[in-house]
Amino acid sequence: MVKVSAPVRWTLRLLAIGYVFFLVAWPVGMLFRRTFEGGLDNLRDAFNDEDVVSALLLTAQVAGIAVIINLVFGLTISILLVRYEFPGKRLLSAMIDVPLSVSPVVVGLALVLVYNGRDGWFGTTLEDNGFQVIFATPGLVMATCFVALPLVIREVVPTLTEVGDEQEQAARSLGANAPQTFWRITLPSIKWALVYGVVLSLARSVGEFGAVKVVSDNVSGRSQTATLMVEEKYQNFAQGSAYAIAFLLVMVCIACLVVVAVLRPQDEN
Amino acid sequence: MSIDITGVTKTYGDFVALDDVSLTIPTGQLTALLGPSGGGKSTLLRVIAGLETADTGEVTIEGVNATKLPPQKRNVGFVFQHYAVFKHMTVAKNVAFGMEIRKRPKDEIAARVDELLKLVHLSQFSHRLPSQLSGGQRQRMALARALAVEPTVLLLDEPFGALDAKVRKELRDWLRRLHDEVHVTTVFVTHDQEEAMEVADEIVVINEGRVEQVGSPDELYDEPANDFVMGFLGETTSLGGVLLRPHDVHLSLTPQEAGAAEGSISRVLRVGFEVRITVLTDDGDEVNVLLTRTHARQLGLEPGVRVWVSAASGATTVPKMAAAAG
Amino acid sequence: MSAALSGATLDVGRPVPDDGGRPRRARRTKPRNTLTPGAGLGLGIAMLWFSLLVLVPLSAIVASAAAGGWANYVNVLTDPQTWNALKLTVSQAALVTVINVVMGTIIAWVLVRDRFPGKAIMNVIIDIPFALPTVVAGLVLLALYGPNSPIGVHWAFTQKSVALALAFVTLPFVVRAVQPVLEELDADVEEAAASLGARRSTIFRRIILPSLVPAITAGAALSFARAISEYGSLVLLSGNRPNETEVASVRMLSFIENGSYASAAAVASIMLAVALFVIVVLDIVQRRVSRRG
Repeated sequence: MVKVSAPVRWTLRLLAIGYVFFLVAWPVGMLFRRTFEGGLDNLRDAFNDEDVVSALLLTAQVAGIAVIINLVFGLTISILLVRYEFPGKRLLSAMIDVPLSVSPVVVGLALVLVYNGRDGWFGTTLEDNGFQVIFATPGLVMATCFVALPLVIREVVPTLTEVGDEQEQAARSLGANAPQTFWRITLPSIKWALVYGVVLSLARSVGEFGAVKVVSDNVSGRSQTATLMVEEKYQNFAQGSAYAIAFLLVMVCIACLVVVAVLRPQDEN
Repeated sequence: MSIDITGVTKTYGDFVALDDVSLTIPTGQLTALLGPSGGGKSTLLRVIAGLETADTGEVTIEGVNATKLPPQKRNVGFVFQHYAVFKHMTVAKNVAFGMEIRKRPKDEIAARVDELLKLVHLSQFSHRLPSQLSGGQRQRMALARALAVEPTVLLLDEPFGALDAKVRKELRDWLRRLHDEVHVTTVFVTHDQEEAMEVADEIVVINEGRVEQVGSPDELYDEPANDFVMGFLGETTSLGGVLLRPHDVHLSLTPQEAGAAEGSISRVLRVGFEVRITVLTDDGDEVNVLLTRTHARQLGLEPGVRVWVSAASGATTVPKMAAAAG
Repeated sequence: MSAALSGATLDVGRPVPDDGGRPRRARRTKPRNTLTPGAGLGLGIAMLWFSLLVLVPLSAIVASAAAGGWANYVNVLTDPQTWNALKLTVSQAALVTVINVVMGTIIAWVLVRDRFPGKAIMNVIIDIPFALPTVVAGLVLLALYGPNSPIGVHWAFTQKSVALALAFVTLPFVVRAVQPVLEELDADVEEAAASLGARRSTIFRRIILPSLVPAITAGAALSFARAISEYGSLVLLSGNRPNETEVASVRMLSFIENGSYASAAAVASIMLAVALFVIVVLDIVQRRVSRRG
């Protein structure tokens, strides 16, 4: 392997470290400092605020439902894409990645166009039957599902392909039916990829902002999620609370990153 | 009869993997499906197991029409080339899998797993994960797993294909001995004629989706149905319009037999106790002859020497291009 | 076996080169279907959900943008505020993509080829922008580059803040695209080049860089697409001043809030077209470069 001369090596190293430090590490560190500037006051104030608590609960609820939906959907699509042949498979496989390249605001707009109660394609009918999507929890869940849609699939498909179907065939030849094969063979062999996909989806779902903002009317307790609350608190000069909520969100995301970092080596075994 | 296959055809797009194959595999024997890669032998095995469905034709296992049965209802044991071990289960759990699916009592499973692991010499590894086993050990585990469900037939798809030469040879002997103990009807796929000749009671030669010949190893070697079988089972050389084995060519320094072809030696290659000689006959044939070192030395053979070659008495010969003509 | 049958088999069993394309073509015209009834039902339900969630809403955008016809686009583009927002978004996204190509490759190089204490931590930090909620990303940048900056850099609410936010959220793309390729790079090839007398700079230019180009362009395309659609991290940081720091997504959101969905859809479709254009251009560049390498 080519050895780089010492001055070049040091220049590159300092450039890389400096860039990452000033762009990511220090700013994130500042968040921690700002949160704990007054000791635990910021966190205590935030938790005493009913609106903050209900925003956190709403985020937990929306993210939870969205992750479960994406898990079931992602697992189904992954197995279909890897284990079956059907017309339109390549197209479906390409379409699955679309949500990753659509702006969150566009996601929100798309959902509003179809599901708003005033002139949406389906929204008027749904609302006439007493089912509100936009400005309510279903809309938040849909927006969150949309942006996190491919994450489980992207993790599971390569693993499922790599594992191959020999183990499944062996199970069938030993007398296992389709559900038994799925629960005893397929699921355990893609377990880590699945957990990994779920963790990534969770981080994405908890943190979604743009798409959620479009489909929410920002009424606290009904459609205001934690990320929307961060924006509102900051703009209302309640910066301490904004930092406290942001801190909690960051902790969730860092926990997700740690889980992923711990899982990765296991996955490679 | 154990397995009856009638008129089975299987195509993938334009490719015909099996072309109207009919075959009967006898009970209690070790049968080899032998042929070149891509000739359809693995497909046939997978059709028997139900892992592939034939386009047309029927498969009957022990008198039961299995054509429409899914693999889990056929009661066959299948051993895969790349072992297909359940990576997340211990050796004992792997072997127990089929019995757990069949909801056998726990103590019965434990006893049977013990017995099988002893049979395949893996008792001390029962709590290991497959990743801690060598290739040969994994394949023995896969065999124990397949035997655990007491299958009507045991099917092995190139079982030793992924192993190195030495382990291959060991497992080959071991499979033969195991079969003598267990006596389950066994079908295995191989492209290695030596493996088939050594292990099998009966060999089915398959090529281009068709059965070329069925017979015991000796029958196949001594009476090959056509030049393909002849060629696949060992080296051949052509002399006066027939194919024969190089060691079945009689070579002399004087014209001893009527019809012997005259020619001169073009090449002499010595490998251990063998001497391989190439004779260019005056009719334009290039004949390979295999002699022992002693014999060649007695005759004083070297390039340029005039010799007469003919088929030795009792030699196995087939007319050249028999398949194309028929 | 009948002569007709063996004749047919012989024909198939002779895979001469000119026959090579036949199976593939046959497969394309007649895709195999191996769905079992259960799998078919699963596919049906999954497709219904996928349509309701993604396909129908996205086609609603196209329909809504098309309904206004050209007049709609002309209206949107001749509005100076929208035009400036589009210009700012595309130029800053392009700038950040260039920064990412350079810095991302350097960071990937350092992560793979260099050894120093704290490298593992740096590797984790790279992923933070992926995991962080975008609005929080804006907030953390405000903490260092905002009004109370401890280092005296007051970039918030200026155009620099747009680049800053975009650089933050797109940091991992090039790094994570290049890193695995660099890891897989065959040391033998570099050694072979060295044994043939190539200098270090030549090896880098002729051997290493060409094999990294596909990964770099893929990362660049992702980071450009992400940058022009970014919203969350800019909301707090850029101040959203019309004609100054207002980006396309922010403009789109104000259209939505005013109920002018058609204008929002027009902006959305323009941004999508720009993203597609850049991805195609980068793909062409990549093909050119790797062919020449």
